[in-house]
Amino acid sequence: MSGERARRIEGALKVTGRAEYAGEVRPDGMLHAALVQAEITCGDVVGIDDSAARHTPGFVDQVSYDDARSLAPSTATALIREPVVHFPGQPVGLTAADTLLAARTAAARVRVDYVERPSVAAIDQALDEAYAPAMAGRIIGASHRGDPAVALTGAHLVVRNRYQTAVNNHHPMEPHVVVCWWEGEQVVVHTSTQAVYGTRAIIAHALAMPADDVRVVCRYLGGGFGCKGQLWWPWMLWTLTASKRTGRPIRLELTRAQMFTLVGRRQETVQDLAVGFDATGRLVAIEHDVLAQTSTHGEYCDTTAEVSRRLYACPNVRTLHRLVRTNEPQPIPMRAPGTAPGTFALESALDEAAEQLGIDPVELRVRNFADHDHDADVPWSSNSLLQCYQVAADRFGWAQRPASATVVDGRWRIGWGMATTCYPAHRQPCRVRVRLQPDGTIVVQCGTQDMGSGTYTVLAQMVADALGVPLSQVTVELGDTLLPEGPFSGGSQVTASMFPAARQATDALRAQLAELGMGHDETLADAVQRIAPDGIEAEGAATANADIDVRCMSFGAIFTEVGVDADLAEIRVRRVTAAFATGRVLNPLLTESQHIGGLIGGIGMTLLEQTVTDRSSGRIIGDNLADYLVPVHADMPEFDIALIDEDDTYLPGGVKGVGMLGTAGIQAAIANAIHHATGTRVRHLPIRIEDLLHELPATTPGALPSMSE
Amino acid sequence: MTAPQAHSNEPTNDHDVTVGYSLSINGGTHPVQDAWIGESLLYVLRERLGLPGAKNACEQGECGSCSVVLDGTLVCSCLVLAADAVGSEIATIEGLSADGGLTDVQQAFLDAGAVQCGFCTTGLVMSVHDMLDTTPAPTDLERREAISGNLCRCTGYGRIFEAIDLVVTRRSGSPAGAS
Repeated sequence: MSGERARRIEGALKVTGRAEYAGEVRPDGMLHAALVQAEITCGDVVGIDDSAARHTPGFVDQVSYDDARSLAPSTATALIREPVVHFPGQPVGLTAADTLLAARTAAARVRVDYVERPSVAAIDQALDEAYAPAMAGRIIGASHRGDPAVALTGAHLVVRNRYQTAVNNHHPMEPHVVVCWWEGEQVVVHTSTQAVYGTRAIIAHALAMPADDVRVVCRYLGGGFGCKGQLWWPWMLWTLTASKRTGRPIRLELTRAQMFTLVGRRQETVQDLAVGFDATGRLVAIEHDVLAQTSTHGEYCDTTAEVSRRLYACPNVRTLHRLVRTNEPQPIPMRAPGTAPGTFALESALDEAAEQLGIDPVELRVRNFADHDHDADVPWSSNSLLQCYQVAADRFGWAQRPASATVVDGRWRIGWGMATTCYPAHRQPCRVRVRLQPDGTIVVQCGTQDMGSGTYTVLAQMVADALGVPLSQVTVELGDTLLPEGPFSGGSQVTASMFPAARQATDALRAQLAELGMGHDETLADAVQRIAPDGIEAEGAATANADIDVRCMSFGAIFTEVGVDADLAEIRVRRVTAAFATGRVLNPLLTESQHIGGLIGGIGMTLLEQTVTDRSSGRIIGDNLADYLVPVHADMPEFDIALIDEDDTYLPGGVKGVGMLGTAGIQAAIANAIHHATGTRVRHLPIRIEDLLHELPATTPGALPSMSE
Repeated sequence: MTAPQAHSNEPTNDHDVTVGYSLSINGGTHPVQDAWIGESLLYVLRERLGLPGAKNACEQGECGSCSVVLDGTLVCSCLVLAADAVGSEIATIEGLSADGGLTDVQQAFLDAGAVQCGFCTTGLVMSVHDMLDTTPAPTDLERREAISGNLCRCTGYGRIFEAIDLVVTRRSGSPAGAS
């Protein structure tokens, strides 16, 4: 059963500008910080001369490697302890001054001497050094079942192609920021983070402090999508170091240009994929080889080939991830990590196969539905993918899809395409505290944070539902390590992680009240006044999932209609119909919004977004929001989102994650629609006008099929 | 070993040039003292005057997060020199609703679910107010044009159109828009 379409409880603060983001905290005497950035691609820092910087009016301090040597060694401190430049733009120092202008001026006056070393600025410059990492994300990097090589040899049809996806940057609207100050041996850190507790842990470790002496606060977070975590930590630690030494609060706020370099990226992929079918359209083999970029200082590999292991029923599957180290920024997860590039390849290949087999693309997927997870050979906790296909196809009007690419609406050549999406459902450890106040209102506390997805609101809903009180009686406190430890905001896990903890807390609160003699007909407000006049509280704690005998995933089906300008090849997504099965939907208003946002992110990845690197220097070209194109309002298609309620009795509360699902599948759905419209198969992202200009077939007038309601 | 490399990106403006002036914001007078003459209106609003409703997100007029109204014209405050705004009437999100309540646009954003992380929201609210002030019944194309300078990444795009519909309907007095 779906929950209430409750409005965002912190929404009024956001529409009025009264929500205080981390960078808006204004301690007295605050200094501004700026970063000194490396101008070489690869090498060693052999000298830092800040004598000119120190003459800048307003200059207060400069920190660099020498000031960080005492920090505990870790991946988070390596880049500020070891004077090695791994990529252009890497910070080599930080200045602090009375004003932002003075800090930036001083940073520009810091003179840095380097010894350069040969660099690798693109993955194809070091293909012979590609290696297979042990892990891709949380999964083993390589997999093998059956004998795909033999099966491909005997297959009725083999579709074998290379698919490529570009580097993307997350670009939450709020740049990374930290405002920190010391109170004796304790430090207070306001920062834009997807993990207040994770940030606290890294600070405590780096500075060898008791965790309780570190307070990290992030009450409102201006988006993240994966980039507001670990990669930002070294520069934040430099800021803390400067604050301690100067005895003054300091703020460091990244520029938009630095958001291309210092906070991670979606890694580019080159995917060689072979899919084999028998004459009835059943998959007999998949081989999926992924090559991707990682940095020279860190290893990260998306789970790109995971979809090939378990999305469909297939007896013979081999997957492999390989990485090439380059002197470029470090990749990290970005919304729908792995599934976004992975489904682009697999779901494009299935579309190609459907055409060659003469089978409808939906029917081909239905025939290959996996009734259990063939990779781990375990059942799904629930899988409503078949229902997603049916509902979305009906609402889209897929049955009327013309076979050939002849449909024209004025100057627009029209095409329809579809694809499957999926994402694993995980949970993390989580504690939630529920307090019944003397006045009968409820305060709920959890040390997670709201990235914008609606965490404040769904937690309030969980507790209001469980206690039978109106939502208006519930106040939620998030984003502070003084609260009970909650999960990081990533991997679409927060809501599912909070649910069992919140339920345990409300159950415990009710049990305490019952023990104190709360009457059956008594309201909470009456009971607390009578039997616990100071108020009463209870905590719940839930553990991470450890699903061994069962596989938990969300699924969805995405259908798109695109128009391609017959003369100019401009590509427009005209409408998107999608059905998503994500367990129990707690708030359809927020959930639909998450799906639409996810789909828009996917449209950006498909048609617009590409971080371009200079192949000689490794520098990013066009590191600004004028050159890095993201979808705008004018790009919005018509959305029709169907939420498929699932009764998943295995998962606590039946709750699965939502946020990633729309950002995968959409890429192939658009590419397949473009092929349907133009006859051109584009196997790389982003797909741009220039990919279609030369191959547009002559315009043939035809009737646009009527849209079913 | 390469020769030491000198930085070339040092600001050329002389930051010793400071000025004092007053800005007229939301009907009040706000003195600014000892400010570098090159400071943007956005910087002065946020860093000197304690008005953080306009957000700093791109510093180049691409994202609209810093939208304010200057003498009746919607502008990106990151592209306006504060010292150049002396004598102008500046309206920011903080001044939208004198009684501390919500304007109809703000209420519609809430009702339609057009808010997520909120960082682009204040700029969008300013843009939608500006559009509806000049074009009370915008066409679909006019809406898309008017707010395409406001980037949102979360995103509420789909819902922001619904919010605009709500305002238009409610302002026209149609009962269909009541909730």
